[in-house]
Amino acid sequence: MSGAALERVFRAASGRIIGALAARFRDLALAEDAFAEACARALEDWPAREVPVDTAAWLYQVAVRIALDALRRRRTHTEYESLLSAGVDAQTDPDDDLSAIPDERLRLIFICCHPAVSLDARVALTLRLVCGISTLEIARAFLVPEATMAQRLTRAKGKISQAGVPFELPASTSWPERLQAVLATIEIAYAKAHEDAAAHGPHSHFSAEMLELSGTLAQLMPREPEPAALAAMIRYAEARRPARVDEAGVMVPLSEQDPQRWRRALIDEADGYLVRAMEEDSKAIRVVQAKIHAVWCARRSLEAPPPWIQVLSLYDELLCLREDPVVRLNRLVALAEVNGVDIALSQLEGMDPELLGEFAPFHAVRADLLRRAGHDDAARAAYDEALARISSTAERLWLTQQRRMVSDAGG
Amino acid sequence: MQYALLIYEDEALYGPGKKGPAIQTIVSRHMAFNRELGAKRVGGSGLSATSAATTIRTKGGTQSVHDGPYAESKEQLGGFYLIEARDLDEAIAIAKKVPVLQDGSIEIRPVLGPG
Repeated sequence: MSGAALERVFRAASGRIIGALAARFRDLALAEDAFAEACARALEDWPAREVPVDTAAWLYQVAVRIALDALRRRRTHTEYESLLSAGVDAQTDPDDDLSAIPDERLRLIFICCHPAVSLDARVALTLRLVCGISTLEIARAFLVPEATMAQRLTRAKGKISQAGVPFELPASTSWPERLQAVLATIEIAYAKAHEDAAAHGPHSHFSAEMLELSGTLAQLMPREPEPAALAAMIRYAEARRPARVDEAGVMVPLSEQDPQRWRRALIDEADGYLVRAMEEDSKAIRVVQAKIHAVWCARRSLEAPPPWIQVLSLYDELLCLREDPVVRLNRLVALAEVNGVDIALSQLEGMDPELLGEFAPFHAVRADLLRRAGHDDAARAAYDEALARISSTAERLWLTQQRRMVSDAGG
Repeated sequence: MQYALLIYEDEALYGPGKKGPAIQTIVSRHMAFNRELGAKRVGGSGLSATSAATTIRTKGGTQSVHDGPYAESKEQLGGFYLIEARDLDEAIAIAKKVPVLQDGSIEIRPVLGPG
């Protein structure tokens, strides 16, 4: 097995094994260290001998022994005894059922995504422990030095152990808040992958991890609508990736993307998740959000009219469920297409600039509406505001192109 | 009358997670002080480092959970509860029921265990 192949084996096994170790030993740092040590031993052992048939089971068994050794060294005899009586067996027979790694990934996700851990640290910890992404890669995505990210991860693990974050699945009293924290974490992790339209940025390969993680979550919680809706949304968004940027590297807005370049198989998969989510609750916020994606992805070609009317009514539905300035902004884009630029512009100017003033898309939408309404000077100023806040290259190129259209028309 | 004595110190003196050598020094001094207090001591405990703190903020009737200690702004310490909870989730659920008249924050901190 090549080094890269080994890396893939380790990464794929990471969430499952660290989850099982964490549930068993109730110590995230110990679980992570034991897994890392098991991987190091595999690197020495496997090339010399035959690669085990069930690599994950091998890694798990070795990690369990490493963790037990560490505990034996670290703990007093009494504590170790109490661990044994709590069902942590000291001797694991290697001939035991090797395929039986308990699936504790859901617990691991809930531990890493506890709302008492800061959102940034939650995202990083989930990427590290559940998805097996290296600290260096996560540091690159967050644009911080590796040492800073390592410290952030250590602090988060320390918080979880010191503050008494439960290692059980949440009780019904804290379930809604805990589940929302999990979903928000995956959304932010995916947004990191998605914000870079050209997919050349440091986060681009996270999207594959997020596809898998969101699918796992939906599978582990079959009766909850929002995990399935999130799995659908991530698939719809990923399906459109091939059409998000043109040959020159410029962003292509959704309504101008060629649907024939979208990945149809992924859209079908997303439709499946959405149907499941709607069966549980068709009015949940993420379910309605996923419907908006679904309506767009149902478009088959550029000749077919864009679904603005349906999109507008879904945004109205969303606003009835929760007031949200970003949803309101997106709604205005659809409103401009259905009811005209002037109405959209007057509603936009009525929004509180405090809420969205630092949000690049707010200025981009405003610039577009001003340009189409013929207010050239104001449009140029708004494009400049947007350009000052945008970080993705593809979007910057697109905004620059749009701004030039004003200059050409207005002189 | 009963009085609460609230101890403010630079926790960095006690090392990361309050696990440095200085903690032994202060614990033995507190034990001596407890003996001196005798029956005048009603209760009390050390608190874990702020790195283990969680804060519930109430603003405009909405509650939210945050990592970290209460960041001093215009509110002042107005009281405290010592509770027994199974884990952080139960502590959060209880903390959310602590009444505050308008806006306010409840900081949750595990008490220092033995050793």
